[in-house]
Amino acid sequence: MRIMLGRARSQFFVAIVLAVCFSLFIAACGDDDDGGGGGDGGAAQVKETVKASDCGPEPGQKASGEPIKLGALATKQPGTDFSEIPRMADAYFKCVNDNGGINGRPVEYVIEYEQTDPGQAASQAKKLVETEKVLGIVGNTSIIECDVNHKYYEAQEYFVIGSGIAPTCYSTPNFAAVNMGPRYSSDGATQALIRQDVKKIVLDQSNVPGTDYIEEGPRLITEDAGKEFEGLKENVPIQDANSAALKAVQAAGDGGGVVLNFTPPEALKILQAAQQQGLQDRVKWGCSTPCNTDFLAEALGDAWDGKLFVNAELNLITADAPDSNLYREVQKQYAPDIPLGSFSQMGFIEARIATEALQGVQGDYTKESVNEAFKNVKNFETDILCNPWYYGEAPLHIPNNVDRTVTPKGGTMVQEEDCFPISDVDPAIKEVRDIEKQDPSLVGGG
Amino acid sequence: MPSWEEFRPFIVTGLALGGVYSLSGVGLVVLYRATGVLNLAFGAVGAMGALIAWELINNANWPDGLAYLVCVVFGGVVTLLYGLLFGPPLAGRDPLVKATATLGLALILLGAMSWIWSDKARSMILPTSNENFMVSDVLVNYTQVIGFAFGVVVTVVTAAFLRYTNLGTAMRALANDREITATLGVPVRRVEAAAWLGSGLLAGVAGLLLSNLVGLDANTLTFLVISSLAAALIARLQSLTVTLAAGIVVGLVNALITPILSISEYRDMTPFILAIIALLWLSRHREVRIGRAAG
Repeated sequence: MRIMLGRARSQFFVAIVLAVCFSLFIAACGDDDDGGGGGDGGAAQVKETVKASDCGPEPGQKASGEPIKLGALATKQPGTDFSEIPRMADAYFKCVNDNGGINGRPVEYVIEYEQTDPGQAASQAKKLVETEKVLGIVGNTSIIECDVNHKYYEAQEYFVIGSGIAPTCYSTPNFAAVNMGPRYSSDGATQALIRQDVKKIVLDQSNVPGTDYIEEGPRLITEDAGKEFEGLKENVPIQDANSAALKAVQAAGDGGGVVLNFTPPEALKILQAAQQQGLQDRVKWGCSTPCNTDFLAEALGDAWDGKLFVNAELNLITADAPDSNLYREVQKQYAPDIPLGSFSQMGFIEARIATEALQGVQGDYTKESVNEAFKNVKNFETDILCNPWYYGEAPLHIPNNVDRTVTPKGGTMVQEEDCFPISDVDPAIKEVRDIEKQDPSLVGGG
Repeated sequence: MPSWEEFRPFIVTGLALGGVYSLSGVGLVVLYRATGVLNLAFGAVGAMGALIAWELINNANWPDGLAYLVCVVFGGVVTLLYGLLFGPPLAGRDPLVKATATLGLALILLGAMSWIWSDKARSMILPTSNENFMVSDVLVNYTQVIGFAFGVVVTVVTAAFLRYTNLGTAMRALANDREITATLGVPVRRVEAAAWLGSGLLAGVAGLLLSNLVGLDANTLTFLVISSLAAALIARLQSLTVTLAAGIVVGLVNALITPILSISEYRDMTPFILAIIALLWLSRHREVRIGRAAG
């Protein structure tokens, strides 16, 4: 009897160990969202120079013609919710519909969601194209969608305007993003620290698939600058932030620089641990775009003012400029529940680009004419991006390749460096710069 | 291989975390011994308590000390309520069933935290984290000192409580045989309620300390129970002293592996590897029989 009890207890212990192993595995699979956070919260103290009605050609005149149907697909699941992007695009289209529409016609916008299930992502794209029969796709933001659907979009000749996360979003002819994604954003943060004259760069990022691809850009840029580079990975969620911060600082050495590529909560853990151990002045700290959020600046407090160099793919949400002001007005009137931040900025810009492209369509609005219009977008100027945005016919698209650097100050993010080009030492950036040289009209030249 | 100078700061971080693992492990062991329940919601309870404290400080302008107290009390109340509601109906079930039921509570709390607080970056700095001192070039803050000291103190006090008080004796009796203890007139439910409450209060304290030592993040704090669980398993859910030692060893080994870059990214396995080694070692003299039972 005692032996039986002992065996049962051993089986119980083994079962518990297996159960917690499984739990840890599940936990490790989650929580790596944030294709780009940014600047949420924080009331804008600016001159209100525009009205929301400036979004359309005929203020106050509701569009009444046959709707132009557009669609979007975004990841929406616990812990990973990109719905703010298409929802803000929807708010902009509603504003356009209330103020003249597109040549008198309203936009009907269909948003579908997926939960990082490849089968579901594929079927939702088919649903948009074949069942909903959308004429164009705008506002897509998904962890897996580019990988799953890019061939389908190529075959169906849809030219998607969206926000990129996976590397494939930046290497297909049929997807152009308004953001630049984690690799090129890490490139930008690396460049900012090199300008701070650090001796060595350490890139510390989540230990998830795709990080080797991201590491390659900062490595090439650092080595090109004649400095030493080291890549580190941390399992997320980070369970011992003090040790993780110490490891990064020791790897960088005195006078070195540490670039973080994590979601805001994980980056915050490392930065706070560094602060508590008096490490924030031992090295220079940089961070890719997800750190560009006022939540992070507020959580860090004054101790980090001017000490963290964060790459910013979009302008500050508080910027006093025409598109930035219009963005806030549209948000206030049509989507007050969506926070101001880089996600909603992306949705706004994507809808603005699509609207301007559609206003120029001559003749019927068909799948062909709409996608041709999207593909032909060039020299789209907006104060939310550093350089004009374009689509064009190319094997890959990284139209957002000029960035800013921001830094925390008094609980918000403020601009530290004005627009600078992401280094073309990164081969994909070199490729898009060559494309821009071949057709300077894409960015307003020639 | 890093030098001794490079290893030294990791000893501090390891001891601090190890202390809290021990503290949590003791909470798990005491509850298991009294009720037969392995509380997998321990981390989630502490996480939610810490987030409530953050909410009270930042959005309701409560004094910090009162908010911290709410965190600890929340841990005690939620755990006690669970124990009162689900303890009796599950009392006769297999330990695995009881443990799985607490996993349900953990998932409910985790879902509620995601819903209420989303995954935005937030922090709650204890005043003790801003006060520090140097120990031969290593900066040590007082939260780290408290983390370690609290683990040791709670172990000693709990061991004394179990040995020298009537309630503690009743808990030990329950651990040996629930039915006989009840027959002897011990108020079983009241004793179990005390164990649930005590364990919950420790969950609140651990949540508060870990939100500073690790970060104020629902997922992280919820799953940190795994390291404490390893400490409790190494002690075979029996010995408080072994739980204390195991928690500190888990924290130390985990931290000391960090600067060794070739194996650093595998350090999260530390609790499991140590638990498996310990379980194999402890069962080394067990007789293994292979064959068909007579019948």
